[in-house]
Parts: sequence; structure tokens; C-alpha cells
Amino acid sequence: MTGLLARRARAQWALLVCLLTVLTLGGTLLGTSALLVTRTSERAVEVAASRADRADVQATAYTATIAAADTRSVAADAEAVLTGATAPFRATTTTRASGVMQRLPAASDESRGRLGEAYLSGVDNLEDTATLVGGRWPRSGAGEAVLFDRTARLLGLEVGSVLRLGPQIGRQTARPVDLTIVGLVRPRPDAGWDRDPLGGEGFDPTPADVRYAPEVNAYGPVLVTLDDLLSGGPSLDRLEVTARPDLSAPAGRDLDGLSRSLLGADRRLSGTVGDRVQYVRVTSPIPDLILDLRRQQQLVAGSVLAFALIGVLLTAIALALAGRLATGVRAEEGELLTALGTSPGQLATLATVEAAVLALLAAAISIPASSLLHAGLTQAPPLSDAGLPTSPLVTFAQVAAVVVGALTLAVLHVVLAVRRAPDSGDRRTRRELLARSGADVLLGVLAAVGWWQLRAQSAAADTRADVVRVLAPALVLVACVALALRLLPPALRGAERLAERARGLVVPLAAFQAARRPQAFAAGLLIGLACAAATFGTAFGATWTASQHDQADLSVGTDLAVALTEPPTPAEAARLRAVTGGTVSPVAARNVTVGQFLGGPGDAPRLVALDTRRADAVVRGRTGGHWDGLRPASPSTGPELPEGATLTVTGTATDGPITVTPRLALEDSTGTRTSCDGPPVPLDGRGHAVPGCAPLAGLRLVAVSLPLTGYPQRGPLSTIEATVRLSGGDFPAPWRMGVAAPNFGQVSGTSLTTAGPELRLRAIVNFTDPHELSRTLVTTGFPEPGPVPLAVSDRFARAVDARPGTELNLSYGTTPVTAVVTRVVSRVPSEPGAAAALADVDALSRALIARGDLDSHVTAWWVGDPRAGAPDAVARLHLGEVTTRAAETERLSSGPLRASLPAVLRVLVVASVLLLLGGVVLHVAYDVGLRALEVARLRGLGVSRRDIRSALLLEHAGVLLPVLLAGALVGAATTLAVAPLMIRSDTGAAPVPPVAGHWPWLGLGGLLTLLVVGSGLAVAAVVTVQARRADAAHLRVAS
Amino acid sequence: MSLLTVAGVHRHFGSVHALNDITFDVEPGTLVALVGRSGSGKTTLLNVVGGLDRPDHGTVIVDGIDVTALNEDGLSRLRREKVSYIFQTFGLIPVLSAAENIGVPLRLARTAPPDRERRVNLLLDLVGLTDHAHQRPTELSGGQQQRVAIARALAASPRLLIADEPTGQLDADTGLAVMALIKGIVDTEGVTALVATHDPIMMALADRTIHITDGHLTT
Repeated sequence: MTGLLARRARAQWALLVCLLTVLTLGGTLLGTSALLVTRTSERAVEVAASRADRADVQATAYTATIAAADTRSVAADAEAVLTGATAPFRATTTTRASGVMQRLPAASDESRGRLGEAYLSGVDNLEDTATLVGGRWPRSGAGEAVLFDRTARLLGLEVGSVLRLGPQIGRQTARPVDLTIVGLVRPRPDAGWDRDPLGGEGFDPTPADVRYAPEVNAYGPVLVTLDDLLSGGPSLDRLEVTARPDLSAPAGRDLDGLSRSLLGADRRLSGTVGDRVQYVRVTSPIPDLILDLRRQQQLVAGSVLAFALIGVLLTAIALALAGRLATGVRAEEGELLTALGTSPGQLATLATVEAAVLALLAAAISIPASSLLHAGLTQAPPLSDAGLPTSPLVTFAQVAAVVVGALTLAVLHVVLAVRRAPDSGDRRTRRELLARSGADVLLGVLAAVGWWQLRAQSAAADTRADVVRVLAPALVLVACVALALRLLPPALRGAERLAERARGLVVPLAAFQAARRPQAFAAGLLIGLACAAATFGTAFGATWTASQHDQADLSVGTDLAVALTEPPTPAEAARLRAVTGGTVSPVAARNVTVGQFLGGPGDAPRLVALDTRRADAVVRGRTGGHWDGLRPASPSTGPELPEGATLTVTGTATDGPITVTPRLALEDSTGTRTSCDGPPVPLDGRGHAVPGCAPLAGLRLVAVSLPLTGYPQRGPLSTIEATVRLSGGDFPAPWRMGVAAPNFGQVSGTSLTTAGPELRLRAIVNFTDPHELSRTLVTTGFPEPGPVPLAVSDRFARAVDARPGTELNLSYGTTPVTAVVTRVVSRVPSEPGAAAALADVDALSRALIARGDLDSHVTAWWVGDPRAGAPDAVARLHLGEVTTRAAETERLSSGPLRASLPAVLRVLVVASVLLLLGGVVLHVAYDVGLRALEVARLRGLGVSRRDIRSALLLEHAGVLLPVLLAGALVGAATTLAVAPLMIRSDTGAAPVPPVAGHWPWLGLGGLLTLLVVGSGLAVAAVVTVQARRADAAHLRVAS
Repeated sequence: MSLLTVAGVHRHFGSVHALNDITFDVEPGTLVALVGRSGSGKTTLLNVVGGLDRPDHGTVIVDGIDVTALNEDGLSRLRREKVSYIFQTFGLIPVLSAAENIGVPLRLARTAPPDRERRVNLLLDLVGLTDHAHQRPTELSGGQQQRVAIARALAASPRLLIADEPTGQLDADTGLAVMALIKGIVDTEGVTALVATHDPIMMALADRTIHITDGHLTT
């Protein structure tokens, strides 16, 4: 048997090389896929973790209310627990602590019920969290401290002053402490001052300790060194230790260990510190970060597996084709061996030994080949751009995949080898036809079920790489191609009937051969499926990329967004415009309540207001709407203030004392509104200046609100007369006067007149109602705004049953706003999938001002078409977090966790093209070779070589072109049907906006041209060679 | 005038001298049996006569046409118009029915479909296969297939019929029937036939027998 095998191998080396090539290709695909879903996928998690935001890579232990004697030990224990929890990663820790409030004698006057208080704070890295604006940093053990410059100004202190702190409020008495102020600092944004007891403001007129005196003013922090605070300092109100593990080069399993360890750190710290503290909590975003990375890893791995499965399936079909051809070539040999007494078992053993040798050889080649291919892939974009380049490597999973795959394919080869191949003239038996129909129906049902399951998957986040998601695309592709192939014979028979009428031989012979020869189903399936897979891979890749762009566009909503940490200042928009070179729009976005509709947890309805005049230049994303008609028809009017202009408020109130605290709404040249508060002004008939509201020229005054406080001495009613006078410019008429919301009828008899530079207001005010807001007079440079026009999202409309014309009552913060739905749009920019509404920022601002809310509600700036480098330039302005559409797109489409998908698609397309062309060559070469004698006899009948060549070319073109066309159509249809269901957002939820099929016409055209031309050239080459070889030698051999 | 003249034909395959100075004439309407052992050069001689192979030396003239001087197109035309083959293994196209196989030479001659149909039916009747017109070769017996092959060979009304062991694949009775058919056609249609055979009955039916041994004519 060994001798037979060896001799046969020598004689049929080309055939064996062909089988080995297919097996090797399958093994290489499997090995590469295994490496992508294991090593690269794990590496992607590691790289993504190493690139995570600094704010996401920390763990903080919060402890509260610690006795002075325990502060040092609690800090040490917290640090030890965090360091242990973040092992084996090296972690740096920082500690921030604040003492309890202490009396501040310098700011107290207890005889008048005024209590001043302050607190000590210590921060490990004070130099990193604050900027020194005067003096120097404090030293340990020297009784030195630094203050915020604002606090120092309020307390009248300067560098060199001594600050005396009294005993702790509500606790044991202690002797006063004197601290020398050695420096003044200014807190840096995003440096954790939001967790300071006073939020980093330096002063609070209404602190939590307000119960200790009628008037309490809190000051602080008084910043000393952490050592001083923890060594003999006061009891601590709060102490937090933050550990930042170094994830610059993490190992995946260590990340999982870190996550588990941090989840248990809270319990460990509680057990360690016991009752030395009243409150303990360890929080960290790291477990969520790693969970999110693992989810994304699973999501991408599922898709990679789905595409790898298509490749492996193609390989199996290619092997089936090669095996079937081998069986055909060896048919006579088998008959001879059988005639010589070889049993079927011996033939099977022969096939098994041959297949095993082939499988082992294929595995031996596939392992290094897949390592090299994988390394090549990772060193080319997009994987290299994602930071995932690796050297060739061999892993257990890869070896297992290759060996199991090669052996499975070898078994398939054995099965095919022991089955009899049909003769070329055979007609199908009824049983075969029945079995084939049954298989077709089963395949169709499975594909339909797979597609239905995909369609039925939840729109919510789900990242599991389940069987359906992996199998469905391959099933749909195979079933559709198989069914399309069943349509081919009837079509060819139609062509045959037409050709039959022809006089000549070439066309009818080609048509007869194409229609009547038992079509090699495996060849058709391979060619059709490869074409479908290549089309699907190309279109899916483009659709996936387009979807990531769409998602990024909609989630950011614009090209560049700055989420403000503080309300904007006048002319900030102009500064942004200068820095970015783009179109700038103010944006006010916040949760709202719509009537009784609050939304779900974390899913409140949102209102986004922007400058709709600039929407076209600023808004990005497939929103399915336009924003015309949302802006008020007429511009607001108001006097333009010269730089440094001062307003004067003069007024009288019958039966005073009544005080008014003027607030001004100012509009800059870009239309952005800011507010300015004046000091409380008694209505005593004298003029009181409102300074500092016009820091630069060009601001226009568009509204003034006058909240009235106090109580008349005789009865609740008071007649108020107030005049607002400009130092330069006149009030254009008409201005409007109203009352802030809630309006409980406390104001009546209102009148407003404009007289040159003066606004004169008169009203009868009732002081009965406890709501002071209801006694706020509001004058505006625009008419009563009416309902705010809204464009609402589909989901918003469904939630509140709104349609165009529906009036809605919104609560914008605490301010009630009436709105009207003007149109329903699919989505609102920056609020993908949310119940959201979009308004014009001017219209919203007018509605809010008219109800007495003059706050600036601008929360962000949106910039359209910024110049290159704008994000860095904007970041340097320290206005807030900068997000760009480009960065979000890059994160979604070529981040480390996503880059495997385009890479595997590329492999699939290339493998499909190679297998298709290989399949064409294999099939045509076998077919034409098998018919060499027939071709020679045609020559004997007088058919010229040219006619033989034409007939063969026509015959193969007649079969190949429809199969290629069917494959391309199936690939396109599968993209339409399956891609929108397979593509998920980075959270695993259905993407918003929904996926739209994207057709890279150039790429698809190039691909199909390559397939058609490549197949044509392959067929032409084989046919030409065979036609040339068809000579008397064949006839002699046959005879 | 001879229908076929073979003069001084040599054909080598490497060191094997397959045909060595072969010279003979065949008169029109004659059934000639070409007799020799396997490997004696019968098939090579038939291929050279039919223009499927070229001699190294010598001349072959069929119906006045010097076959050895023809180019590829000329040879194809010769086989379409003057010479027809009957192969030992029948040489039918598997996917075509009996009628369609017979119609192949008529399609090559671009015969109009009605004429083609008439001619095919006539030939089917001649070889006794009218009832098997739509069956494919795999559905026919060996004898039936050979009769279809004979009908196809006659379809284009050739001047010379070349048959290479036409009964080699058939049992004795069927072979006899086929030989009788060929003899009948030669007699009734006036066709000249050159038949390579081992069969003594065929030799007996032949008007003339040419023996070939190791590439030499021995008679």
C-alpha cells in the first residue's frame, strides 16, 4: 500500500499539491483567525487599557470623620489597601485631606450672630493642583499655610499675614493655632477641587454649619502640608487616598485580576480601618473600564469569528471541489483496484492515509504561514495604527485551530474519496433529486432562522458572541448562493432552447454543454460563494466604517465640541472663532421634564438648543431633519454698551424698606448671552451704580430683571417705581415688561416707559406670597416670546404623544417653559437614541429670560469646520473637555479593539478572490482535461481549433458569468439584510443612527472586474492550452 | 482515378518508425480493410490519411486534395467535407442525444434546420435508431452508439469513411451487424471506406485488404 501511495503521489503530484494548497489555505485562515481572536484581541484590550483616560485609571478610598489621633494610621491603611488592590501594577498614590471646620475669629462677630469658620487642608501634590500666584509653597513643621487668592482677598490677608484658627466647631475645644500665610494660590481646573468642602470656591456664605449662628461664612481651604495636617492636626472631615496604577504595559490577565481586586477593596478597607472612621468607600472606574473593554473585545471577536467562518467554509468547499475532482481523476484507477480485489475498506484506508499525510503536511505549513500572515496583518494598517504590531508567534490556540481544522478537512477529503463520482452523462436519480431538494430546504430554513434571530436580537447593549451572530452570515450567504445556483440550470435550459435553433455548431454546442453537463455543484458553490463573500466583505467593511462615522457624527453632533466647566464669558465665542477658524455656536443642553414625563433612570428627556442660523455649518450627523423656522423672526433690541459702562438704578417703594438686586442679560456680537449681577440696591430714592457689567465694548443689554425683597412696614402692598439709567446710549422702544415665573399675581398695575437712556418701571407689588421669585420684574428688549418652537426626536414624540402643533410644558431646571412641536425628526444631534428636542438658543433664552431666568444656560460650544490643530489650541484655553468628531470616529473605527474587524475583512476578501480564481482554474482545467478526447474527436469531425476554443469559452462563460453575477447579488443582498443587524455600537447596542448600506462603488467595481477578468483569463488560458493539445495523440491513446 | 493515394509516407515517434514508406491507392466505392496487430501503425496511418496527423515524409491525396499540403483550416474543411471518422470508442458527445450527435456535421456545414432535421431522421432510419433519437449515449448500448457514430459519419455525405476498429468494443453479433451496415453503406451510398480491423469477418466483407506490420505494408 505504501508503494502504491508513493507511486501515485509521484504520478499525481500536481493533484496532491492542489489538495495540499487548499488544506494549507484553510489551515492558515484558521490559524490567523485564531490569533486574531485570541492574541490580537487580548493585546487590543491591553493597548486600550494603556490608552485609557487618566481619570479612568485610578482608585480612590474615601473616608470621613476621623479622630485626630487616627488620621495618620487611617491614611496609611487606605494607601496599603489600594496599593495591594492594584498589584501587580506599580501604583502612585496621592492623599487629600480636609479638617473639620474651625472658628475663624478674624471673621466672626458673635455679638451680632456672625460666625466665621475655616478649615485646614492638605494635598500631596499641591504644586500640581494649584498655581502659585504669590509668595511660596508652605514647609512642614513651620506653621505655614497658603490660601486661595480669592479667600485671602475676602479675609483681607496677604503673604506674611498670620491667620488664627480657633477650636473645632461642635467638637472639643482646643487652643488657637496661628499660621503664617506664605503664599497665595489659584486652584487649577480639573484638579479635584470639586471634592473640596467648599468645592474649590474659597468661600461659602451658606455652609452646612449654618445652624451654629444666624449668619455663617465659611472660608478655605487653609492649605498646609499633608504631614502637618496628619501630624497633630485637627480631626479630619474627609480623607481620600487615590491610587493610580501604571497600566502602560498591562497583561490581560492582570487587568482582570485588578478589576476583581478593586471590586473587593471596599470590603477590605472597611475591615482594616474598623471604627476609626465613620464612613468608608472605595470607588474606581477601572472595573467598569475593563468590563467595557472586555465587552467590546467579545463584540469584535464575534464578528471576526463570523467572517473567519465564511473563509473556512469557502476553504471546505474548495477542498470538496478538489476532492471531487481527485475522485473523478482516480475513477478508473479505483475501478482497476477493485477489479484486482481491493476491498472498499482498503480503498478507504488508502484515502485515509493519504488524507492524514496531507493534513499533517498542511498543518506543518499552516502554522508558520498563519504566524507570518498574522504578523504581516498586524504590521499593516489598521492594526499597526492601532498599536497592535506583533512579531510572528505561535500559540496553543493557533496550533489547535490549525490541526483540528486540517484534520476535519482531511476527513472531508476521505468521505469524498470513498464516494463514487457521477459520470459526465449521468442524469440525476429521483432519490438524489429528492435529497438535494431536502438539503436546499433545510439550508434555506436554517438561514431564515439565523436571519430572524439576528433581527430579533435586542436593540439594547449585548456583546455576547453568540452562535447565531457567528453562524448567521455564513448560513445566509451559503443558502442564498445555493438557491441561486438552483436557478441556474433552468436559465441555461432556456438559453439552450434558443441556441438549438441556430444553424452553426459553436453556440449550440456551448449551450448544450453548459445546460446538460452535470454542473459541478461544489465548483459553482465555491465560485458563487467566494464572489458573494468578497462582495459582502467589501460592502460590509464600507458599511461598517460608514456606520462608525455616522455614530461618531451624531454622538458628537458637530466637528468640535467644548463642554464648558463654567458659564461662558462675553466674547468667548469670538475668541474660539479666532482660535479655531470655524463657525461657532453656543449650545445649551440639559435634561428637562416634559409635563409629567421624566424619562427613565439615566435616560431623561434632553433639550439641545443651538444657534440654528449656523446649524448647517455646525451640526453634523444623520439627524433626518432640518432646523429652519426655530429661530425668532425678529432680533432682540437693546442699547449697545460702551466698555466700562455703568448702569444706575434709582427707585422708591411706598412703605419700604424694599431692596432690588438687578440682573442684566447681555448679548455679545455673536448673539451669545451672559448675565451680570449687580449688588442689592435699596429703593431709597437715590441712584445706585451697577458696575462691572460691560468689561468690553459691543455688548448689548437685552433684559433687566429686578427681584424685590423686603417687606413693607404697613401692609403687604407697596407701589414700586424704579428707573434704570444708562451712562451711554438710549433704550430703543419698545421694551416689554413682565413678571418672572412663578407668577402668583403678586404684581399688578405694571407700566414701563422708555425715555432716552432710561427705563422707567412702575408696579404695585404684594409681599404676601413667600416665593420671592414671584416679585421679580422683568423687562426685555424683545416681545413676549410665546412657545419655544421645538424639533423633537421620534422617541420624544412617541414618549409624550407629540406631533407638529402639540404644545408642551417643559421644566428647564426650575423654570417653566412653554414649547410647541414644529416637526418630528429622526434624531437630535449629540443625543443619539435619546428622547430629545432641539430648539434655537435665542428662542430658548428669550423664553427663560421672560420668566425671570437670566442665567447663561450655555453649556458647550460647537465649532464647525475648525482648522487643523484647533483641538489642541482650544484645549489650551482650559474652557472644558474638548471632543472632536474625527477623534471619536477614529476611536470607533480604528481603535485597538475595533481594528481587527477591518483586518479580518481584508483577509476574507483576499482569500475569497484567491479561492475563486483557484476554483475556476481547478474546475476548468479538470473539466477540459476530462474532455480532451472529446475535443480531439471534435477535431476529427472537422471542427477547427478556433471553433473548439470558442465553444469551450462560451460554455464556461455561460456558466461562470451567471454564477459570478448571482454571487455579487447575493453578497449585496446579504449586506443589506445582515450588515445592519450585525453592526453594533461599541456598547453592543443597536447603533444610532441605524446602519445604512454603503456601497463603495469603485471598490466593488474593481473587485468584480478583477473576478470577471481573472476568471476569464484563467478560463481562456486553460481552454487555449487544451484546444492546442487536442490532437491525434489523444485519439491514439483512446484507441 | 483513385479516391485515395498514399505515397511514400513515413512517420516517426522518437525512435519508433510507426510508418515506413507506405504507398497505396484506393479506388472510389471500395471497402478497404486495414489489417495488422496492435502497434503495427494502423491508427497512425488512419490519422495521417484523415489529416489528424502529419507524415514526416510522403504524400496523401484524398479526392484530388493533397492532405499533406493543407493548413489547419484546410484540414478542418477536409474533415468536414470529404472525410469522416468512426472511432473504436464511438466518440459521441455525451451530453447530446443520438439525433443531435448525428446533426453535428450538419451544423458544421451550417445546414438549414429543416434540412438538417430531415437528414438526421433519414440517417436514424438508415441505422435503425428512429426510436432512440432522443436518448443520450449513456442510455444506448455499445452497438447502438456505434450505429449513431456511423450515422454521424455519413451525415455530411463524405467521400472517404475512416473507421478505426469500429467493432473493437462490441460483442460478435453486434459487431457483425455494424460491419454489415458499413458494407451496405459503401455499396449503396458509393462511399469509400478505410477500416482498421482485426476482425476476419470484416476482412471477408472488404473489397480489398491491406496488411501492415511494424509500419510496413506487407501486401
